[in-house]
Amino acid sequence: MTSAIEFRHVKKDFNGHNVIPDLNLTVSQGELFVLVGTSGSGKTTSLKMINRLEPLTAGEILVNGTDATTVPIRELRWDMGYVLQQIALFPTMTVAQNIAVIPEMKGTPKKEISATIDELLTEVGLDPAEYRDRMPDELSGGEQQRIGILRAIASQPATVLMDEPFSALDPISRQQLQDLVLKLHQRFGNTIVFVTHDMNEALKLGDRIGVMRHGELLQVDTPSAIAQHPVNDFVREFFGASRAKKVYDIYVGRVGLEQGYLKAKPTVAAGQIQAIDVQATLRTAFEALTTHDYLAVTEDQQVRGYLDRQTVMGYLSTHEPD
Amino acid sequence: MQTLIQTFMERRGDLLTALWQHLGISLAALVIAMVIAIPLAIWAVRRPKMAEFLLQVTSVLQTIPSLALLGLLIPLVGIGTVPAVIALVIYALLPIFQNTYLGIDEIDDSIEEAANAFGMSRMRKLFKVELPIAMPQIIAGIRTAVVLIIGTATLAALIGAGGLGTFIMLGIDRNNTALLLIGAISSALLAIALSALIRWFQTAKPKRALTVFALIVVLLGGGGAYSVFANRTETITIAGKLGSEPEILINMYKDLIEANNDHVKVALKPNFGKTTFLFSALQHDQIDIYPEFTGSVLETLVKGSHPKGLTAEKTYQLAKTRLATQDQMRLLQPMAYNNTYALAVTKKFKKAHNLKTISDLTQIESLLNPGMTLEFIDRDDGLKGLKQAYGLNVTAKSMEPALRYTAINKGRINLVDAYSTDSELRQYHLAILKDDKHFFPTYQGAPLMKTSFANKHPQVVKALSKLAGKISETDMQEMNYEVNVQNKSAATVAHHYLVQHGLLEGGR
Repeated sequence: MTSAIEFRHVKKDFNGHNVIPDLNLTVSQGELFVLVGTSGSGKTTSLKMINRLEPLTAGEILVNGTDATTVPIRELRWDMGYVLQQIALFPTMTVAQNIAVIPEMKGTPKKEISATIDELLTEVGLDPAEYRDRMPDELSGGEQQRIGILRAIASQPATVLMDEPFSALDPISRQQLQDLVLKLHQRFGNTIVFVTHDMNEALKLGDRIGVMRHGELLQVDTPSAIAQHPVNDFVREFFGASRAKKVYDIYVGRVGLEQGYLKAKPTVAAGQIQAIDVQATLRTAFEALTTHDYLAVTEDQQVRGYLDRQTVMGYLSTHEPD
Repeated sequence: MQTLIQTFMERRGDLLTALWQHLGISLAALVIAMVIAIPLAIWAVRRPKMAEFLLQVTSVLQTIPSLALLGLLIPLVGIGTVPAVIALVIYALLPIFQNTYLGIDEIDDSIEEAANAFGMSRMRKLFKVELPIAMPQIIAGIRTAVVLIIGTATLAALIGAGGLGTFIMLGIDRNNTALLLIGAISSALLAIALSALIRWFQTAKPKRALTVFALIVVLLGGGGAYSVFANRTETITIAGKLGSEPEILINMYKDLIEANNDHVKVALKPNFGKTTFLFSALQHDQIDIYPEFTGSVLETLVKGSHPKGLTAEKTYQLAKTRLATQDQMRLLQPMAYNNTYALAVTKKFKKAHNLKTISDLTQIESLLNPGMTLEFIDRDDGLKGLKQAYGLNVTAKSMEPALRYTAINKGRINLVDAYSTDSELRQYHLAILKDDKHFFPTYQGAPLMKTSFANKHPQVVKALSKLAGKISETDMQEMNYEVNVQNKSAATVAHHYLVQHGLLEGGR
C-alpha cells in the first residue's frame, strides 16, 4: 500500500523562529492518523502544511507520492477535505449550499450534488427536508460541525484534514461526533489526519497516534502500544493527565488499553459474559458487572478482549481524578 | 399650511423638474462613488497600510466644508452639474469605502481560512463568501452616503446645477417660507425614499432587484442622453441671478430673441447663482447671456477705481469700456430703472409732509423714526455716508430686512432703506425719495455677453436693444409684486409687459 502523506525532513520557521526542526512521518492510505500534543507543539502547523495553508521552510511533503508543491493548489485542496475547530460554515449560505461548495467548483452536475446532500444529511441523522435550507446560525454547535464534516467529505476526497474539530463542543456532542467520524471513516475509507490535544480522543479514534512536543514527534504508535509502553515521561504524563474528569465517563476500551485484556476467553457459561462496546463508559460496565462476571469488549462486532472485575478494580486503583 | 398647499399646487411642474434634477445628480454621484470606493476598498483589504492611508484621505475630504469645496472646483471645472457631482462623489467616498473595507476586513479569519482550504479562487471567494457577508455593512454605507448626498445636493443650486436647492434658495431670497419648506421637505422625503429603496434592494430577489436597477439607470441615462442630444440644436443659453427680477428679465430676452429668429431656441437657467458664478459661467462659455447691473460691473467685476457720484450714463459708459477691454465682453444699453439703495416712506407720510427728495428729510428730522437693515446702517455707501452727504442727523433702529417692511406698515417706524425695485414697495404702498445729490451708485440692468457672441449674433443684439431705456422702477416693482406676492409665473408677467408696451406682438 502506498503512503497517502509523507513528511520528509520538513522544517518550519515563523519569523525566523524555528517551530518544527525536522519532521518525518508517513501516513498510509485509508489510515485514521491522530496528531496529539499540547498547544504550541506544532501539530496544527504540521496539518496546515499538508494542504499548503502554511508554506514549508524546508523539506517536502508528498501527497500520494507526488510533491504537493508541484500539484496545482486548487486541485490539491479540492481532493483534501478540511474541518476547522471554529467550524466556520459560510454564514450567508444554507446548509445545502455549504455542503455543495467543493462539488460545485469541481463542476459536478447539480442533480448529483443534490442527491449527495440528501444522502449525507441522512447519514449523519439530520432530516434533509428539514435541514437543507436552514442557515448555519439556526443550528446547534454539534449540528454545525456535522455540516462542517459533510462539507469536507462531500466530493469524496482521498484525504480529510481535521484541526481540533470537536474541542469547542459540549461532551455529549463531542462523543456523538467522534462516533460519527469513525462511522464515516469506515464507510468511505478516506485517509484522515486528525489533530487534537485530547489524548482520550486520540486513543478512541486513532489507528495510529503521533505525540508531538516542541515540533518533534516523540512517539508514533498504535493506541495500545502508547498506552502500555509510553516512550518517555512526557508521553506517560500526557496520557495520564488526559483521563476523564469523572471515572464514570472513562470508556471501557481504556481499561483494556492500560491493564491489558485477559489472555483467553474465560471458561464459563455464555450467560456469565456480557458483551459491551469498546466505546461504552465505565458506568455501563459497572452495571453489567453487577450481574455478570466477565465483559466481552467488542469493536465492530468483533471481540477485542475480555475483562473481569479484578482488571477493572486494578484500573480504578491506579486512577487518580484531577 | 394653506399657503403651503397653494404654493405646492402652483409649483408642481417646477418641483417635478427640480426633483428629477436632484435625483439625477444624486444618483450619478452615488453610482460614481460606489464604482470608485467599493473596488478600492476590496483592493485595500490586503494592504492594511494603504487602507489606513486611504481612510485618512477620505476622512479629510469629508471635513472640507461643502461651500468651500464647490468654490474650489469652479476654477477647475467651471460651474453646473459637473462640479456638483464631483463634490458629492467626494463626500460619498468615506462612508462607502469605510463600510466596505471594514465589512470585509472584519470577516472571521477562520471563514477566510475555510474558503482558502477549499481551493476557492480569489474571485470566487470575493463574490461567494466575502461580499455576501459584508453586504449588510456595505449597504449601510451606501445608505449613509445617499442621505449625505441628497442633503448636500441642495447646495448644487448655488452653482447652477439646479435641483431642490433652487426652492430653498428662492425661499430664502424671497422670504417665502412655503417655498423653503417645499424644497426642504421634498429633499428629506427623497432621502428617506431612496434609503428605503436601497434597503429593499438588499432583501429583494436578485432578479427583481436587477430589473428595477436597470430600469432606473435606463430612465436617468435616457434623460441625460436626451438633454445632450437636445443641446446639439442651435441654442442660446440665458441665465439669471437668484430672484424674481432676473427671472422676469431673461423671460423677456427669450421672447424678444425668439420672436425675431425662427431658427434660434433660447434655453433659460433662472436662479443660476450669484454675480461671480454667472460671470465665471459666461467667461467659460457655459452660458451666452445674462442680465448684469452697471454698478455691479464697476464694484466687483472689473479692475480699476472710479470716482463717486457718477451719473447713470457715465456709470454705463465706464462699465461698458472696461468690460470690452478687460474681458472682451459687451454690455448692451441698460433699461431705465435703477435698482439701487433707496429711502422709502409711506405714500401717506410723503403727502402729509410734502416730501419729494432725500434733502427734504432734513426739514422734519425730529419726526423721523427710521428702521433699517444692519448692513445698510453700517456701510459707507449706506446710511453712514448718506448722513454726511445730506447733513442728515438721524439714528436708525437695526431690523431684519423683512421685519422693517412689516414695521413701517404697522406705523412703528416711518422711514426704511430699500432696493428701489422691491415688490414690497408696491405691496405696502411705499414711495421712494429722490436721491437728488446722486449719493447712491447707479445699478442699471443690461444684457451682458461676450464680444465674440455679439458679433456673431447681430440679430440677438438688435432684439435685446429694444429694451434699452424701457421699464421704470414702478414697472419693475409691479412685476416683482406679481411674481413674488401674487405668485404669477415670471414668463407670463414678462410676456404681458412686452405686449402691453408694443415690444412684442400679442396672442401667444
